[in-house]
Amino acid sequence: MIKRALAERRVMLGGGLLLALAIVILIAPVIASALGIDPGLVDLRQRLESPSLLHPLGTDELGRDLLLRLLEGGRVSLAVGLTAALASAVLGTAVGLLAGYNGGRFDALLMRVTDGVISLPLLPLLVVLAAIDLNKLGLPASFVQSDAASLYRIIVLVALVGWTTVARLVRGATLSLVRRDFVRAAEALGARPLRIMLVHILPNLTTPVIVATSLAVGEIILLESVLSFLGVGIEPPLASWGNMLTGAEETIALAPLLAFYPGLLIFVTVICCNLLCDGLQRALDPRGRISPP
Amino acid sequence: MSRFLARRVIEIALLLAIMSFVIYALIGLMPGDPIDLMISSDPHLTAADAARLKALYGLDQPLIERYWAWLKAALSGDFGYSRLYVQPALQVLLPRLGNTALLMGVSFTLTLAIAWPLGILAARRPGSAFDGAANLLSFAAISVPSFWLALMLILIFAVYLGWLPAGGIATIGDGGFIDRARHLILPVLTLTLVNFGPHLRYMRASMIETLNQDYVRTARAKGAGETRILLHHALRNALIPVITVVALSFGSLFSGALITETMFAYPGMGKLIYDSVLSNDFNLALAGLLFATLMTLLANLAADIAYAVADPRIVYR
Amino acid sequence: MPARAAESADELSIGVSQFPFTLNPLIDTMVAKTYVLALVRRPLTTYDPNWKLICLLCETLPSFENGLARKITLPGGKQGVRLTFTIQKNAAWGDGVPVTSEDAIFTWQVGRNPQSGVAEGELFRRILDIKAQSAKIFTVDVDRLTYDYADFSDFDILPAHIERAAFADPTQYRFRTRFDTDPTNPGLYDGPYRITEIAPGSHIVFERNPTWWGNPPFFRRIVVWSVENTAALEANLLAGGLDMVAGELGMPLDEALAFEKRHGGAFTVIYKPGLSYEHIDLNLDNPILSDRRVRQALLYGIDRQAISDEIYAGRDPVADSFVPPEDWMYAKDVPRYEYDTEKAKALLEAAGWHAQGKEIRRNAAGEPLSLELATTSGNRTRELVEDVLQSQWRQLGIDIHIKNQPARVLFGETITKREFTMAMFAWTSAPEDLPRDELYSTEIPTPGNNYSGQNHTGWKNQDADKLMDAIETELDRPKRQILWQQLQALYADQLPALPLYFRAEAYIMPKWLQGVVPTGHQYPSTLWVENWRAVGRDAQASAK
Repeated sequence: MIKRALAERRVMLGGGLLLALAIVILIAPVIASALGIDPGLVDLRQRLESPSLLHPLGTDELGRDLLLRLLEGGRVSLAVGLTAALASAVLGTAVGLLAGYNGGRFDALLMRVTDGVISLPLLPLLVVLAAIDLNKLGLPASFVQSDAASLYRIIVLVALVGWTTVARLVRGATLSLVRRDFVRAAEALGARPLRIMLVHILPNLTTPVIVATSLAVGEIILLESVLSFLGVGIEPPLASWGNMLTGAEETIALAPLLAFYPGLLIFVTVICCNLLCDGLQRALDPRGRISPP
Repeated sequence: MSRFLARRVIEIALLLAIMSFVIYALIGLMPGDPIDLMISSDPHLTAADAARLKALYGLDQPLIERYWAWLKAALSGDFGYSRLYVQPALQVLLPRLGNTALLMGVSFTLTLAIAWPLGILAARRPGSAFDGAANLLSFAAISVPSFWLALMLILIFAVYLGWLPAGGIATIGDGGFIDRARHLILPVLTLTLVNFGPHLRYMRASMIETLNQDYVRTARAKGAGETRILLHHALRNALIPVITVVALSFGSLFSGALITETMFAYPGMGKLIYDSVLSNDFNLALAGLLFATLMTLLANLAADIAYAVADPRIVYR
Repeated sequence: MPARAAESADELSIGVSQFPFTLNPLIDTMVAKTYVLALVRRPLTTYDPNWKLICLLCETLPSFENGLARKITLPGGKQGVRLTFTIQKNAAWGDGVPVTSEDAIFTWQVGRNPQSGVAEGELFRRILDIKAQSAKIFTVDVDRLTYDYADFSDFDILPAHIERAAFADPTQYRFRTRFDTDPTNPGLYDGPYRITEIAPGSHIVFERNPTWWGNPPFFRRIVVWSVENTAALEANLLAGGLDMVAGELGMPLDEALAFEKRHGGAFTVIYKPGLSYEHIDLNLDNPILSDRRVRQALLYGIDRQAISDEIYAGRDPVADSFVPPEDWMYAKDVPRYEYDTEKAKALLEAAGWHAQGKEIRRNAAGEPLSLELATTSGNRTRELVEDVLQSQWRQLGIDIHIKNQPARVLFGETITKREFTMAMFAWTSAPEDLPRDELYSTEIPTPGNNYSGQNHTGWKNQDADKLMDAIETELDRPKRQILWQQLQALYADQLPALPLYFRAEAYIMPKWLQGVVPTGHQYPSTLWVENWRAVGRDAQASAK
């Protein structure tokens, strides 16, 4: 299976670029400390400098090196993206599996719920959810004020939306698997539903889950960047590509490059994810049994 | 058909009711005492009245009772006062609703006007250069972050070229048709470019599948012209699954409108909800969210009706 | 927005960055409100652009020399002063009713009532009695003789014949005042203009007041537009929708500088250094901030000079206390907090906040050193400064959460009700203004006093109170100067607020507009709007 995947051009292109990006992002802090540069250090005397040897992409409006800040933002955006994608995958698989296996009314109900979630105006709702005071949910105050809280919050928010993609694909695949002989045989032998789902069906869902998750990663990165851009996702001074663009529409005349790079990186990353997804689908499911929504 | 409609209307009402309860509960989790703020936002309420209401409907009362009281008032048109604008929330909301409807309507029409023809043409010759280009375009469109696209458009058209305004709904002292149209161009363009990708792909996929059907081959064999086949035989059937997708896209259209309105300082519902949540204007946020949900659900209903009209085979039980 | 055809030569449109949501002159203080009210009302006295006290609504400024001020002995032996004011003969409200002593007496009743929600109540509480000598002449007995005894610039006379009904239940006055429920009522205004139309959040329309008793104003109609977004202010200025941007509350300085560089040829840009004191109010009830060492550490830990140089192009001098360099009693020798991170760290350690490597400091109980900072949202420059402060404080291990709010909410509620931890904003004062309302221990707004008073930090310092009392009654300038120096030194030592800098204001005006004179203090240029005129204006050119 992996061989087939690697043979597909799109997988190589998309996956390769992503990998390269990830490596650069991970190495960045090492390089920074080797050179003695602190990416978070504000130095007003060096605001908005043009690119130079010391600062290959110049500095931002607080004097921080732009390149390092972009890489730092990438670290956060990718980490959040992957984690949320995994969470979405787990949740979506569970829902899709249950719906596909049980069929009938249960399936209809779950699908109506999924459709219901998709059809709502999600962004305004997420903005409200993001503004909730976590103290009122009973969480300890020390957690609420920590940096980690805003990270956990954005992962939960994004996963709340991302599971629908995975659920639909998994449900479709489950529906066709359920009619297969080996499943019927297991049922005839008296195996319990849970065992059937986990032992017989789940392993065969690998392909749709992978395809769906790779599709979801792209959506999730976009969603995180939007929420951070609006100021309800990752909060500064922790950098993310989205929050580096917050308020950029006001200063765009003064510093156009500051608005260009972070968005470009989001664009490139999401294209790579989508390429990867497209490629994986061609490689692993050439007959098109799984169709993305 | 009317039974179907009746059922859908009931579903929508139910969904709206559930959402209103969920949103109301969420507002209660906002920082501070939102109920107190909602009650005392009304500048004409006496201090004694406010205290009495708070005792009656404050955060220490059961959620259900609070919600019920709010619902009764809302159904009679009273959504409370906006803390930010010192006016009844509904009064602030309605003009914004119109602005957003305009933005969404124009861009949605444009989206379909671009996506569908391109999708159909691409489906005619799958694998051709045209198809490849269309695919590439839609691929890029679904990957681009909408707020970045807006920034780049502002940079090019407002800052460098100076052809179009960078934001707002009208110039002060003007507000005529041309002025408003100029202000609408960039927001509509942003929203359209961001949304057309999926619609192109679905139309293309649906058309390809339809064109492979037996009855199409039959029509070709009988000597019908390509155009007639395309438009008369295939399109009607290809439209059906596509409309389902269209119906599901209104929610994301509204979300896109929120970002666009914020970027271009366009006074619409999306920006209003965003501003009001962030400044703790709970009456306004609540009313705004509900109207947004209602708008989206009604659009869904309209799409369902179009679906029923398009497919005479559908019998709704 | 109304679609207007070409603006004629006798119309003026002004852009401001905030909308005044309440218009009652006595309740709440907002620059937007003061600016707009100066178009339609005249106070008894004011400070002119040369920082001299002059009469506006009154005819002659009371002094001991002209006999309109006399010392009186009060029961109990204390010394007070009796002032005689004569209201301008022709002064009348917009509905024709003359401005009389009755209005002055009514205003006093409203102002001194603890329930009415008046922001600067101290002025009124000092007045023992007001007696009408005739319809236009009244005497005021004040319970103490202060150096600024003739300064009645904040005694904003209310129209008794209109407001009396709203004051029937004093506790309801702030909800019933006609300034908010019926703002286009001409009877509320005795100035050169009256308000004829209000679109909340958008604009206010002013037209000539037929009963105006001063020089006839040039402009027939003035519209003040509230545009919160600086880019939109610029765009509308260039497109001709706006003629000018008010310096008192318009474009942030660095954006004005950038604007001048790009478009300065078509406009007159005036920079007025002033009395706008940008600072961070600290809520002293917060356990972390109640420790003076923490406050001092916060100030040592930020590089205000760099902010002034880099973000404000060096035009805003760093502040050490609330008195600006232009004021005569400015004291140079007060505690100064140069940027010194080592001192800051030492102070934090001494206060019990221990460094955790690169993490946030914690105290013995394990609590993090975490604070919330608020300022007016949508003000890009302030947000930039917040980012800088947040970063510099983070270097010391202090965690800052930024929670901005729109001006209306921040000033109207959060700051008034003391629901903030740290709030960054500016207050503009008058020449030699004793900030009694802001610093005196009895001026803390609470639910009990209907949130009157402006001591938002909650500073209770007996020495400061005593100094303020002494300054007030000291008529001898040299002696007063010494007392002022002591007060500034005490303020800088105790730091109830963190002084940042004094802001210069940028006035952007069309070349054809003449007569606008920036004052640099809290009494705005609009108090002399009747002197503004358009010279050499091409009506065709302005119609785009």
